[in-house]
Amino acid sequence: MRSNYRDIRARNDSAWLIPNDGTRTDHRLRADMRRYGDEDEVDIVVVGAGAGGGVLTQRLARAGWRVVCLDAGPFWDPDTDWVSDERAAHTLYWTDPRQIGGTDPVPLGSNNSGRGVGGSMIHYAGYTPRFHPSDFHTFSADGVGADWPIDYWDLKPFYEAIEQELPVAGQDWPWGDPHAYPHHPHPVGGNGQIFLRGARAAGIDARVGPVAIPNGRFGNRPHCIYRGFCLQGCKVNAKASPLITHIPDALASGAEIRPDCMVTRVVVDDRTGAATGVNYVRAGREHHQRARAVAVAGYSIETPRLLLLSATGRHPQGLGNDHDQVGRYLMVQGAPQTAGRFSEEIRMYKAPPPEVSSEQFYETDPSKPYKRGWAIQTVSPLPITWAEHVTAQGHWGAPLREYLRDYVHWATLGALCEYLPQPDNRVTLADEKDRHGLPVAHFAYSQCDNDKQLTRAATASLETILRAAGASEVITIDRYAHLVGGARIATHAEDGVVDGNHRVFGTPNLYVVDGSVLPTQGSANPALTIMALAARAAARLIAAARGGLAEAQLASR
Amino acid sequence: MPYRCRSQHAVTPQGRGRYPGFDVLDNVHAWDDVTAGVVLARLALPGGLAFFTSAEVGVAAPLLDLLLAQDGDPRVPVLALIDARLAAGETDGWHYDEMPEDAQAWRDTLRLLDEDARARHSGRGFAELTSGKQAALIQAVQDAGTDGQEWHGWSAEHVWSLWTRYACTAFYSHPWAWNEIGFPGPAYPRGYLNAGLDSREHWEVADHDDEDPIPFADRVETARHEHADVVGEERAQERGL
Ligand SMILES: Cc1cc2nc3c(=O)[nH]c(=O)nc-3n(C[C@H](O)[C@H](O)[C@H](O)COP(=O)(O)OP(=O)(O)OC[C@H]3O[C@@H](n4cnc5c(N)ncnc54)[C@H](O)[C@@H]3O)c2cc1C
Ligand code: SF4
Repeated sequence: MRSNYRDIRARNDSAWLIPNDGTRTDHRLRADMRRYGDEDEVDIVVVGAGAGGGVLTQRLARAGWRVVCLDAGPFWDPDTDWVSDERAAHTLYWTDPRQIGGTDPVPLGSNNSGRGVGGSMIHYAGYTPRFHPSDFHTFSADGVGADWPIDYWDLKPFYEAIEQELPVAGQDWPWGDPHAYPHHPHPVGGNGQIFLRGARAAGIDARVGPVAIPNGRFGNRPHCIYRGFCLQGCKVNAKASPLITHIPDALASGAEIRPDCMVTRVVVDDRTGAATGVNYVRAGREHHQRARAVAVAGYSIETPRLLLLSATGRHPQGLGNDHDQVGRYLMVQGAPQTAGRFSEEIRMYKAPPPEVSSEQFYETDPSKPYKRGWAIQTVSPLPITWAEHVTAQGHWGAPLREYLRDYVHWATLGALCEYLPQPDNRVTLADEKDRHGLPVAHFAYSQCDNDKQLTRAATASLETILRAAGASEVITIDRYAHLVGGARIATHAEDGVVDGNHRVFGTPNLYVVDGSVLPTQGSANPALTIMALAARAAARLIAAARGGLAEAQLASR
Repeated sequence: MPYRCRSQHAVTPQGRGRYPGFDVLDNVHAWDDVTAGVVLARLALPGGLAFFTSAEVGVAAPLLDLLLAQDGDPRVPVLALIDARLAAGETDGWHYDEMPEDAQAWRDTLRLLDEDARARHSGRGFAELTSGKQAALIQAVQDAGTDGQEWHGWSAEHVWSLWTRYACTAFYSHPWAWNEIGFPGPAYPRGYLNAGLDSREHWEVADHDDEDPIPFADRVETARHEHADVVGEERAQERGL
């Protein structure tokens, strides 16, 4: 579906609010931003300016709400704050301490969450597929996972809106609910060519896209320069993130974005049961922002942590946790990555790492012993990540160096396996404290048998494609990607943390609007779905407010 | 472009590489200043160490040299790069729950490696051993990890991951290592025009297959032999112990 720019601008002018003089940030817009005092009771305070929080803030501000969005990290300027360098991009990640455990611990940091305005989408790869309709009822369909209280068709209009606003480029999509994209697919580099060649030879269907990188100019955002540093933050403003796709319009609509503010507690008044605002630390000083409602959008680790840290007399185990649900059903996708060696030079560092995908194995195959499936995508590790791939084979010393010297000859594909949600994969509070004196998050993760079977099957499919493309050797590393869940949407408080309107069970004016609410994850990268959910949550809040409903009344609906 | 003396052109660690004459620093003029700043800073002579004690350096220096096969000059100053990182408390933002956070884990694992050395070589510390004996001790940790075993009460695999993660991150952030592997480094604001199989920008250098047509598999075999020579018979002895 091609889009009408006038319609897009009528709901989100962000891309046109960016300077067109070769600089990446409109400092005037930031300097002139509306500012609230801590004592002002704003309509809503949003914790986190990432995928979920960024979209929610923009939508509510445009509808006239008085919004303050607090983020623990900086208000980035791509010109001065980001580098075109793998090592020095560490400033983009959430690197406050966290503990990992379980039988299959999941490394966090660079491979997971971000910090700062734009959230993890500052350093996400940029793939933006939709979920399939089946993802919303895996329990009824396959007897695994969970059924959502909403379905694909509820979300579809919001998928379409966000795809236009990012905007997404790709070929016509044959899988799930077949659809087209607003922008034509990008030309592919060596890695993408290998994937397409191998897939064709192996009889596997693959398509170019879907990536949130406009093909051509979009508003004042320039064209991608194919420099391959998407996971280090796009200095060009080509790759979409809320910093450029939603925050400029939020500012123009009167929202305040308050960076460098670490929220330490959602304050709930035990007499009324309602949230009254949040406590936060800025430059070493404690503050309290008053608000009529609070939305938490801090990512799947920090959101459950904040709910746990906000325990009160009435909710001694944490907010939304009366049924011991907070932090549970955290999910990661199994992301085995296979590299193949070719006599040609691939130089996979050129072009964006997200290029080509296949969702041929996404759905449950009744002839197989396992449920659900996986997606396949190009991934193009830069040297440090490539070294990790090689050391995972057990190489060190001279063989490590020899493999690395051969970097230009390797192509790399990754799978995203739909690991299943399990109650014991969860965030809890550890004994260790961070520099604010708050308990850090402990994240336990263990795979189930279905997960392991999926990884094996997915790895075999990656090897098949690379071999079919002519690889002389293939090497695989088992990795994880994309953390979601931990405060899932459910119909009943016994099964989750928020209802279908993202309202936390037991606290009428507290919402969670980020990746934590996902009950299942499919094999799709989650950012587009998180943004679409946030746009839907905002639409419902706006509609309810327009109907004259107080938050408390909504609870009974 | 900043001045560079002739002898500093196209430097690779230990003079090894497959991209003759390729020097990412030839393109500093095409980089943005923030990126150029962080990359060029890696070339500066490291100052004094701030994190490791001298006893720890005695273990860490040979450990890192062996992990990365840096058996001669010019060397990427991996030890200094890791020291700076640990001194600044710049971790990856997570640690395994059975291990302390990274800085303490480095101190502890270096001490334990030294204890291994003293236990097996009649009281001689790691720093005093031949590189063959050192390599054998390191190999023993990796072997324990591969077998899913513990090393001094920690998962040996997690210890191995700590060492290799920090070592590779430091080494492959250095422009000399990029010269060695044919990676052009920073690419903003110029970007690339010629992506695709066997395509190059005019400043990229082809793998010198034609001059050195040894197939990759054979080169890896040679590297394995070289490596085996370092780890050597000592390893067999260690395993027997
Ligand atoms: C390397 C990598 C590659 C990825 N690739 C893709 C991809 O290709 N496609 C895709 O769809 N997804 C991808 N993702 C995942 C995607 O980026 C995330 O799923 C998504 O951004 C999560 O959205 P969120 O709203 O839940 O949280 P985030 O976007 O992470 O936003 C959370 C924000 O909250 C802030 N915050 C947290 N706690 C607090 C607090 N207490 N006080 C104040 N602020 C706080 C944080 O600073 C952060 O800015 C990738 C992620 C990584 C790390
Ligand atoms: S490859 Fe394109 S989208 Fe990715 S970081 Fe570079 S310019 Fe941005």
